[in-house]
Amino acid sequence: MRFEKIVKPKNFETALKILKDDPDSVILGGTTFLRLSDKKYSTAIDLADLDLDYIIENEDNIEIGAYTSLRTIEKDTIINKHFGDLLPKAVEHIIGVQFRNNAKIGGAVFGRLGFSEIITALLVLDCELQFEENGIVPFAEFVSNWKIKRDILKKIVIKKKPGKCLYKMLRTSDADFPILSVAVSNFDEIKISVGTRPSIAKLSQEASRMINSDNSKIIEASNLIVKEFTFGDDMRASGKYREKIAPVLVSRALQEVLS
Amino acid sequence: MKVNLDINNRIYKTYIDADEALLSVLRKLGYKSVKKGCDTGACGVCSVLIDGKPTLSCQFLAARAEGHKITTVEGLGKDADEIVDAIVSEGADQCGYCGPSLVLTTYAMKKELKDPTIEKIKHYLAGNLCRCSGFEGQLRGIKRYMGVK
Repeated sequence: MRFEKIVKPKNFETALKILKDDPDSVILGGTTFLRLSDKKYSTAIDLADLDLDYIIENEDNIEIGAYTSLRTIEKDTIINKHFGDLLPKAVEHIIGVQFRNNAKIGGAVFGRLGFSEIITALLVLDCELQFEENGIVPFAEFVSNWKIKRDILKKIVIKKKPGKCLYKMLRTSDADFPILSVAVSNFDEIKISVGTRPSIAKLSQEASRMINSDNSKIIEASNLIVKEFTFGDDMRASGKYREKIAPVLVSRALQEVLS
Repeated sequence: MKVNLDINNRIYKTYIDADEALLSVLRKLGYKSVKKGCDTGACGVCSVLIDGKPTLSCQFLAARAEGHKITTVEGLGKDADEIVDAIVSEGADQCGYCGPSLVLTTYAMKKELKDPTIEKIKHYLAGNLCRCSGFEGQLRGIKRYMGVK
């Protein structure tokens, strides 16, 4: 990516005004796409002075600032205490430590990238995003709704709840993108998300309904995933291969969550 | 634009482009240990330490480096020698292109991993690709440096 100037606003109002006034401006995340794109912008908006690098636990929630690195999330004891290894497992194979020290959770979420493993994992948590202009938006709504394009993501708020959650994926090479990713949680109800299909992760409706009505129907619910989701081809795997893998990962995840 | 960069505890006042990667600026300033490899964030040969954390300089904007401590392998001094000796003693240093980044990442790993195991070492170094040694020799040397049998 190319840009003529970089600005570091001292408050959110200024940052949003620049973003709204200049359609060719862009908010910087971890700049992991710096050398992967030739797209030209007029102004890059760096939010580094707005204190968005934090993980805070309060009575009901865990709040993650948009500039928190994936490596910080991977190692954080607060997150691990409440959600086990769900989030660490979803980020620990992304390229290498050097990459994850720089990549930001805000960029990983706001980009709505199909290969994003963290989106697969966050979908099964009770999770909201806080934007400067649009305010609080449920995470699942943001992922499936492309209306929010020119706003500033400030933080991710995850509600603390008792229960189990876990993440599973299949990849052919340690630091490459996965062929498929699956997350399952059992808090108020069982949630199943399937991602890197290779399109963006999505929550299951039908399979989740089936397993919530009868916890013994693990195989039937897992097989329903193939009918419920579309699986595409890319250089890592064919859609048909993904269709074979998805029920296996979902079934294993459900068995562990329900055990 | 003009920036002040703290590289190996020395302050450089220099001019950069707004979208210039730190890798480019470091090489212009003479830090040739920082290599340009894939230039897309995949191979790790451009790694430097930003405030002690291994970071890809090809993806890190020089404009964002102001106010942070940048360390290249030249700044490690005797700590680098110890890691290099461990790697070389296993005959693992071939073309040497990935060497500086591997040494820097190993240095950071030693500080970060409280209870190193071979699995943790391999995982930590997954972002450092070597084109010629096949990793095994490097790993033997690094295991010894980390005190892992």
